[in-house]
Amino acid sequence: MASAAARSGLRSLAARAKAPAPARRPMSSSAHDDAYETAKWEKITIVAAVSCTLLAAWNLSKGHPHYDEPPAYPYLHIRNKEFPWGPNGLFETKHDH
Amino acid sequence: MGVKGGLHTTGAKWFMIESQRHSYHLVDPSPWPISGSLGALATTVGGVMYMHSFQGGATLLSLGLIFLLYTMFVWWRDVLRESTLEGHHTKAVQLGPRYGSILFIVSEVMFLFAFFWASSHSSLAPTVEIGGIWPPKGIGVLDPWEIPLLNTPILPSSGAAVTWAHHAILAGKEKRAVYALVATVSLALVSTGFQGMEYYQAPSTISDSIYGSTFFLATGFHGFHVIIGTLFLIVCGIRQYLGHLTKKHHVGFEAAAWYWHFVDVVRLFPFVSIYWWGGI
Repeated sequence: MASAAARSGLRSLAARAKAPAPARRPMSSSAHDDAYETAKWEKITIVAAVSCTLLAAWNLSKGHPHYDEPPAYPYLHIRNKEFPWGPNGLFETKHDH
Repeated sequence: MGVKGGLHTTGAKWFMIESQRHSYHLVDPSPWPISGSLGALATTVGGVMYMHSFQGGATLLSLGLIFLLYTMFVWWRDVLRESTLEGHHTKAVQLGPRYGSILFIVSEVMFLFAFFWASSHSSLAPTVEIGGIWPPKGIGVLDPWEIPLLNTPILPSSGAAVTWAHHAILAGKEKRAVYALVATVSLALVSTGFQGMEYYQAPSTISDSIYGSTFFLATGFHGFHVIIGTLFLIVCGIRQYLGHLTKKHHVGFEAAAWYWHFVDVVRLFPFVSIYWWGGI
């Protein structure tokens, strides 16, 4: 009992000794810095999203190529058994587009 | 009842609940582990039955999936109640989901690594059966500088938006954080839309040689992870809107952000090795 009380006293002393250390998060120091970082990353996001939009506009305006049907090589269009949903569907030959 | 040492002598402020003399969360009995197990059992048995055209396979598979999704919903709902409303997630308890999330992402890295291994294994020394060349003879491949190039910067942009959301949460800018998460999720959805468009226009399918198998397995699983990450971020956005996330306590958001950075960085690997190097 006495040793438990002594341990308890030591623990609370130890807790008091290291108590004042402020809770700081690694990689972010204060609220001010977080406000600054928020504004910075907002700008980065906007620049990135606008760049992606421009890239999309340029990319999609090019149109897309059309492919010829390849010869029936044995490793193409492999069918070992029927699909549960029948012969047509998800993995069937693509339509022309 | 005297004070008998232990952490509680340092002050009651350590505890949300006065009677609890430790910082760990002893969970209540829950029906969700067994219901999730039964859902998983029905899903696997139903899936095998469906794929082998047994009668009732599709029904069992659907019921299993519904059961599994229901369990996920109510289990996570309970965890949110325990952490957000009941205050059980102390600093000590938060370590659990943190380590869990990190280990989960590490296992995901290994999972996707296997698909890139398969793709490299098949493409670095193409066999005679596919013409000794990569891409195999007769396979039409996507131009990497079209939709694949377009889709590659969209995910890192979304990663920038989630970083914006993180700083907004740390700065206590609650509305800004919601806007940032809306931006993150919007970019994610655009990316998934382009991936769908790319698959629709792709000249080959998953049944076209080892090229189709490795291409659609790797890019498809990456796309599936994008969808999972998007759902995770949507949940975080809703929770941020409802005021669940605070400056000091937002483990769920951090896990979603880590997962999202993993997904957006992984996108660079299929672009370089599968679309670009493997497609020309």
